[in-house]
Amino acid sequence: MTDSKMPVSRRKFLATTALGAAAAATGTVAMPSILRAQGAAVKLGVLHPVTGALSYSGQQGRLGATLAIEEINAAGGIKALGGAKLDPVLGDARSSPDGGTAEVEKMNSAGVSAIVGGYASSICLAVSQAASRYDLPYLVDVGVADSIVTRGLKNTFRFGPGFGVIAKTAIANLAAINDQAGKPAKTVMIVHEDSLFGSGVAKLLNAQLPQHGFSILETIAHPTPTRDFNNVVLKIKAQNPDIVIPANYYNEYVLLARTMQQQHVRPKGIYSVLGGAASSYKFLKEFPEAAKYIMDCNHWFDPRNPKALALKKKVEAKGQFFTYEVYLNYSCVQLVADALERGASADRAKIIAALASSTFAGHIMPYGPTKFVNGQNEGAAPANTQVLDNDIKVILPAAFANAKPVFPMPA
Amino acid sequence: MTRSGMTKRGATGHGIGRFASIVIVVAVLAAVPLVVHSNVTLNFLVATLLAALAGQGWNILGGYGGQYSFGHAAFFGTGAYVTAILQVRYGVNAWAGFAAGIAGGAVVGAVIGGLSFRSGLRGSYFALVTLAFAEVLRIVASVTPITGAGVGTLVKLDLHARAFQFESRAVFYWVILAMVAVSLVITHLVERSRFGVWLVAVRENEDAARALGVDVIMVKLGAMVLSAAITAAAGCFYVQYFLFIDSGIAYGTWISIEALLTPIIGGVGTVFGPLFGALVVKSLGEGAKLLAGDAPGLDLVVYGIVLVLVIGMAPRGLVGGLTAARRWCGRRWRPASIPAEEAEHG
Repeated sequence: MTDSKMPVSRRKFLATTALGAAAAATGTVAMPSILRAQGAAVKLGVLHPVTGALSYSGQQGRLGATLAIEEINAAGGIKALGGAKLDPVLGDARSSPDGGTAEVEKMNSAGVSAIVGGYASSICLAVSQAASRYDLPYLVDVGVADSIVTRGLKNTFRFGPGFGVIAKTAIANLAAINDQAGKPAKTVMIVHEDSLFGSGVAKLLNAQLPQHGFSILETIAHPTPTRDFNNVVLKIKAQNPDIVIPANYYNEYVLLARTMQQQHVRPKGIYSVLGGAASSYKFLKEFPEAAKYIMDCNHWFDPRNPKALALKKKVEAKGQFFTYEVYLNYSCVQLVADALERGASADRAKIIAALASSTFAGHIMPYGPTKFVNGQNEGAAPANTQVLDNDIKVILPAAFANAKPVFPMPA
Repeated sequence: MTRSGMTKRGATGHGIGRFASIVIVVAVLAAVPLVVHSNVTLNFLVATLLAALAGQGWNILGGYGGQYSFGHAAFFGTGAYVTAILQVRYGVNAWAGFAAGIAGGAVVGAVIGGLSFRSGLRGSYFALVTLAFAEVLRIVASVTPITGAGVGTLVKLDLHARAFQFESRAVFYWVILAMVAVSLVITHLVERSRFGVWLVAVRENEDAARALGVDVIMVKLGAMVLSAAITAAAGCFYVQYFLFIDSGIAYGTWISIEALLTPIIGGVGTVFGPLFGALVVKSLGEGAKLLAGDAPGLDLVVYGIVLVLVIGMAPRGLVGGLTAARRWCGRRWRPASIPAEEAEHG
């Protein structure tokens, strides 16, 4: 074939593609060095999407897991196994289910006793299934799709809450906050991204909010990425809802909040469910004015737990933000370590049994003692946060709260 | 093999030789699980053969027909979704779903091909319109309830042959290898057939081919349908292997790029190009991972650099590079009076 006949030069196309791949990969190459333990070390798979579209979350997850491993090792390792150290086997799921599956195969042949991580629901689904072939215990760190734990896989456990619980809690808490303030809010507008999580949230809200006395003025979907929210905000301005509920990822969330601020759109409340930026220290640091009084229902650590605050300090000292990926993975590794202690064995079946009967309470999440039913931690629940006094405070559940909700937002 | 060699000598001993080489390559690959028991390797090989299969689909249309599609995800995704939806929502047997998936991909190929070829779209316009179709399908799949919208579709775990799921990775490997073998034979038959000659004529000069009486639109459409069906088969296999599909996986640009990268690296318009290309591309990816260790993304940087170097050294793909090398050796070792073409086939 002659090159001149080609619509696009092959050489040029490939060079661009390859350079693109290279450019996409030049994220941070920083990785905490991990002490490789000798002797009877217990290998633990730490699997995250550290490259590709989900790389930031994946790297935060890896940070949380490796910090927990370092701490456990520094504190003398697994005592029931003669002080055996945890030896992390790091894996990159490359932000795709097939990438995750390939890593499970590698981790299995490397002889890991358990795997922690996954992050995205699609990766968790693939990983749980690949690990189940080897009866390899797998602890989901974030993945909120309910189907992950409803397939009857004996090896799969989720420490955090699933989507159903999060959405239910979010709606109940919104109603509670509104009731407490004397029902100032009656109308709602939803702005959501159009994939799994955004459309799922929007669907649930549309079905359930009317039962709590809210009327939904409009539901606006947008793709990820979206780089201009002016039209969306103009629509919000025209409809003038009492509450705006965004359900989108970090960049879009920030953009929406900033555009609302620029156009002086101040509803009585901005309330999000698993908001991409609402309970993010990064957002708060970069745009403190736009973040003011925003409420969110999301994964959150127990703010009254000194261990959580110590970890937060440690992560921030490394120049990183204390995001939910960090503390969820940190807790998941602790949970596996506890299972190793109680089962007194690095045997996979014994770890599964120890996890299934776990009552672990030494974590830093507001969940209470761990109790797995069909692989789902029953105590897991999200928390409601609000940006108050230039900090992110927990406003619900009351048992873990360190502030009272400010609603409606002061003008 | 050069273009002229393909058409002049296709029906003679050369064709039988090519068929024998397909048998040998497939037999060698089929023996791998008997020697290698590591599931890591088998999983790697399954991913490689999956890329080779999707690439072979692209190769028929892009390599032989010269119609560069940037949207083969449209066929991969349709195959995947049809298989998954029929199983999950309508309780259709997985094998029947598989066949329906391939047919579904072919229909989408016919529709996209019919619309774009009848509109006279060629070259970069055709490339862009295929990209647009794939993207439209992705957006539609991300909001339509039947595809599970953003949530995706999860096929039930049922490790039985009747559900097209296997306990052993080796069986999966043999299944995908059989599919690749069929695609190799199809490509070989296309190459030797009258249809293949028409297709190459269209690629080399569409107007001249039309002037000689070739029904250009029908030839391109035929190639599109065949190409779509093969790539859809890869999509069907993906679903059975990973049991989960969402709009980003099914219609994402990753598979469009994978489908064209493997034949381009291996050698466009050659029977073994996509298979060689897939082996090289995937091995490079794994090799780069070994080199880079645990540093996130460093392997992709190494992979990108090596890929650029490979393309720089063998711009006609590996099969093209080998041919050039053979020709170069032939020139050096044979008397200067023998023409290069003779030397190549002699």
